[in-house]
Amino acid sequence: MTAMVTTLEIPAAARRPRAPAALGQALVSVLVVGLVAGPFIPLVYSSFRSKPVYLPGGVFSLGGYRTLFADPAYWTAVRNTLLFAVGTTVLAVAGGTLLAILCTRTNMPGRRAYGLLLMAPVVIPPLGLIVGWTAIYGQGGYLTQLLSRNLHLPVWNLASIPGMTAFGTVVTLPVAYLTVRASLSGTDASLEDAARSAGAGLLAVVRRITIPMLRPAILNCGILIFALCLEILGIPLFLGGPSNIDFYASYLYRSWNQGGTPDPPFVSAGAVLLLVVVSLLLVVRARLSGAEQRFVAVGPRGGGARRPLDLGRWRRPASACVGAFLTVTCLIPLLGLVLMSFVRVLTTLVAPWHLVTSDNWHAVATDPALRRSITHSLLIAAGGGAVSVALVAVAALIAHRSRFPLRRLIAPALIYPRAVPGVILGIGFFWTYLMFTPGALVRNNLWGEAIALCVRNLTLAYVVIQPSLTRIGEELDRAARAAGAGWWHIARRVLLPLLRPALLAAFVLMFITLLGDYDPVVFLQKPGTEILGVTMLQYWSTGVQGPVAALAVLQVVLVAVVLGLGARALRRVTVADA
Amino acid sequence: MPEIRVLNLRKSFGTTTVLDGIGFTVHDKEFVTLLGPSGCGKTTTLMSIAGFQTPDEGVIAVGDEVFVDRRAGIDLPAERRNLGIVFQSYALWPHMTVAQNVAFPLSLRKVDKRAARERVAEVLDLVELGAHGGRYPHQLSGGQQQRVALARAIAYSPKVLLLDEPFSNLDAKLRERARDWLKHLQLSLGLTTVFVTHDRDEALAMSDRVLVMNNGRVLRDGTAEEVYHEPRARFVAQFLGRCNFLTGRVESGPDGTSLLRTPAFPEGIVVAGAHPGPEATAAVRPHAVELLGPDADGVEASVLEAAFLGDHYRYLVRIGEYRIEAHAPHRIASGPARLRIPPGAAVFVD
Repeated sequence: MTAMVTTLEIPAAARRPRAPAALGQALVSVLVVGLVAGPFIPLVYSSFRSKPVYLPGGVFSLGGYRTLFADPAYWTAVRNTLLFAVGTTVLAVAGGTLLAILCTRTNMPGRRAYGLLLMAPVVIPPLGLIVGWTAIYGQGGYLTQLLSRNLHLPVWNLASIPGMTAFGTVVTLPVAYLTVRASLSGTDASLEDAARSAGAGLLAVVRRITIPMLRPAILNCGILIFALCLEILGIPLFLGGPSNIDFYASYLYRSWNQGGTPDPPFVSAGAVLLLVVVSLLLVVRARLSGAEQRFVAVGPRGGGARRPLDLGRWRRPASACVGAFLTVTCLIPLLGLVLMSFVRVLTTLVAPWHLVTSDNWHAVATDPALRRSITHSLLIAAGGGAVSVALVAVAALIAHRSRFPLRRLIAPALIYPRAVPGVILGIGFFWTYLMFTPGALVRNNLWGEAIALCVRNLTLAYVVIQPSLTRIGEELDRAARAAGAGWWHIARRVLLPLLRPALLAAFVLMFITLLGDYDPVVFLQKPGTEILGVTMLQYWSTGVQGPVAALAVLQVVLVAVVLGLGARALRRVTVADA
Repeated sequence: MPEIRVLNLRKSFGTTTVLDGIGFTVHDKEFVTLLGPSGCGKTTTLMSIAGFQTPDEGVIAVGDEVFVDRRAGIDLPAERRNLGIVFQSYALWPHMTVAQNVAFPLSLRKVDKRAARERVAEVLDLVELGAHGGRYPHQLSGGQQQRVALARAIAYSPKVLLLDEPFSNLDAKLRERARDWLKHLQLSLGLTTVFVTHDRDEALAMSDRVLVMNNGRVLRDGTAEEVYHEPRARFVAQFLGRCNFLTGRVESGPDGTSLLRTPAFPEGIVVAGAHPGPEATAAVRPHAVELLGPDADGVEASVLEAAFLGDHYRYLVRIGEYRIEAHAPHRIASGPARLRIPPGAAVFVD
């Protein structure tokens, strides 16, 4: 056989434009780090001024902090927040752990369906759930009225700290549930089998093996939930309003809007303090999760379908309890929300069908402010979501797959925005737009709000993309580099195509979140730049409930549609890749 | 100690049958190995004995106690079967020290604290880890972890020991040592043991009896020698080592033997035992094939390839258009040679 000689002329080395790779990486890195770190500098600065920065004659001063500490309302808000945070954390962690064990490790009937439904509070827009709860369980709520006015039974008070704690538990429980479930599915089920072989019954296995091994996960989500509770704004504004119970974030919000001088320095001071506390909590959390090496089970994971823990005669009661929990906390409030959007007023005195009206929906369709807020929110969700995902994808590649000198700054910069309270980020952006000239370009239009919302939620795109990126072996990059590809080439032709499912999932998550999020823009919204969340908040505070319910229903429907479309597209992408 | 009886186990996941009528008995103090490729049902069988899988049909009993009887609706929970089990992953509880791991089954049995401490020390000494009781599993090497898992399994003197590929996470050298050591322990404690592996060397070296499994069935049940020398099934012959298969016409030979005439061996090979049909296949291990120089007796052959493997050479030999593998301790030059299959070297397989 004679050897084949190729006649193709191949250059010895592929042309590799070196400079543009580093330049592009630098631009993206500066953009990401700048967007995230930028707002905090004016925030800290303004907290140390004697007057709001837009007034002339301000000097360095601790007056903001002094005013804050001298205000009894501040300390009440701190106390309320701590009570709420401790109660919510304990309940949510206990409930989430119990539900995760029931749904993944036992033979409870319906555990698969429940496993999915328990995540509902994550995807239901937060305001929708709050409005639904108010409609049903609030002081004038349907069930509350039914029990107190019609049956003369003693009832709960949702506008109290225990009441808000109950609702807070429902909202944060999925965080605990997801963390514990991930930890459970990461541990070898044969650890429990070994205990049963040793003679341990159901309770002994759960008490002595399962729960002790979950300690790191429980601690981890406990700290996270606690930090979330400190910054919660919607709950005190919507639920605490009737009894004037303020939390930390709502105290800042009200002081900002109602003070004699608008935007006083002590609000910035309060924001800086909260920022410090939350950042410390997150540092502690990172330390703890690093120190828990011994909890990583050794050896490979046990394969095969193992027989789950047998609940025996408690199977059906347990299933019924979980079902009732979901019905009471999600299903009934959602139904209440829909009902509320179709009646003039939701009351037990008159049958709902006598009060049916299309006025609420008519208002949504015709009121210019409401219509604008829908369009704006959709624009931000779609456009902002797409741009954020693209930015985060490239930034993640720089952080994890490049030799760019400052790459180590990027991952923390992508995690931080979601870790700090949204209200604080909002105040930071307010000052940034006010103090810097480029900020003025976006101060009075939708761009400013879009940027704040997107920066706030960059983290979500990152946490979806990063694990997928780690699963792509680095040999693939090396193979491409050996073939002569430069960095951008590898990113564009190898890594980003492989990340397609993750990018899609990240976009869906961004869309859903941007549609419902409002914390960072409560200080930025102006007439003409409405978005859904803030509009709902403002209408609700003036007592307009029907149209708010209609908007909330609209949000839920939009989220459901996007989730459905996203799941279908994701299946198609995954099939095409397989 | 009691014997384990397994009767007609059947199990399917959807349309795939995992266990297709498994049945065997493990006698008192016997070491029985379930050997087979992955997916053959060996681990499912073991987990059914342990109580982590429920067979669709069948009976499992240890001594007088029925663990599973699907007809009678009996299915004893795993925690009441009193077995010792070592998992492939060892399943050491990462939040407990070595001593706490070993003491766990004792504390469940309400053993008095001091007695438990003594027993833990005794068992840890037995696995040569007496000094490591205070450590956590992640601070131990793979071999040490495996011994802790074993110590935990035998801590409360269970009736039966079940081992699910306990050596598969050890490196080759450690594996051989662990094997000898485990066999020694099993003999001295007189444990009735079921061992699951896909490694034929482990199976042959340790077992009193080997059960070769494939596709949810037991294909061969016998001592290591029996299974190796008389595999009966083609799959068994292949799974236990390299093998030549020769197919041809059967004639009856002298003294109850048979003569197998194949295209490569027109003169015929003497195979022990009679075969009912006119056509048959015989298996010959490469080391039983005699490969000789070109001047010796035997069928004309030619050596195509040779590989030196330390204690022997492996040859690929051509006879006409057929290829045969032969192992020999000596070097033979490539090219013409003679090949013989001595009487009794070949056995019939299906």
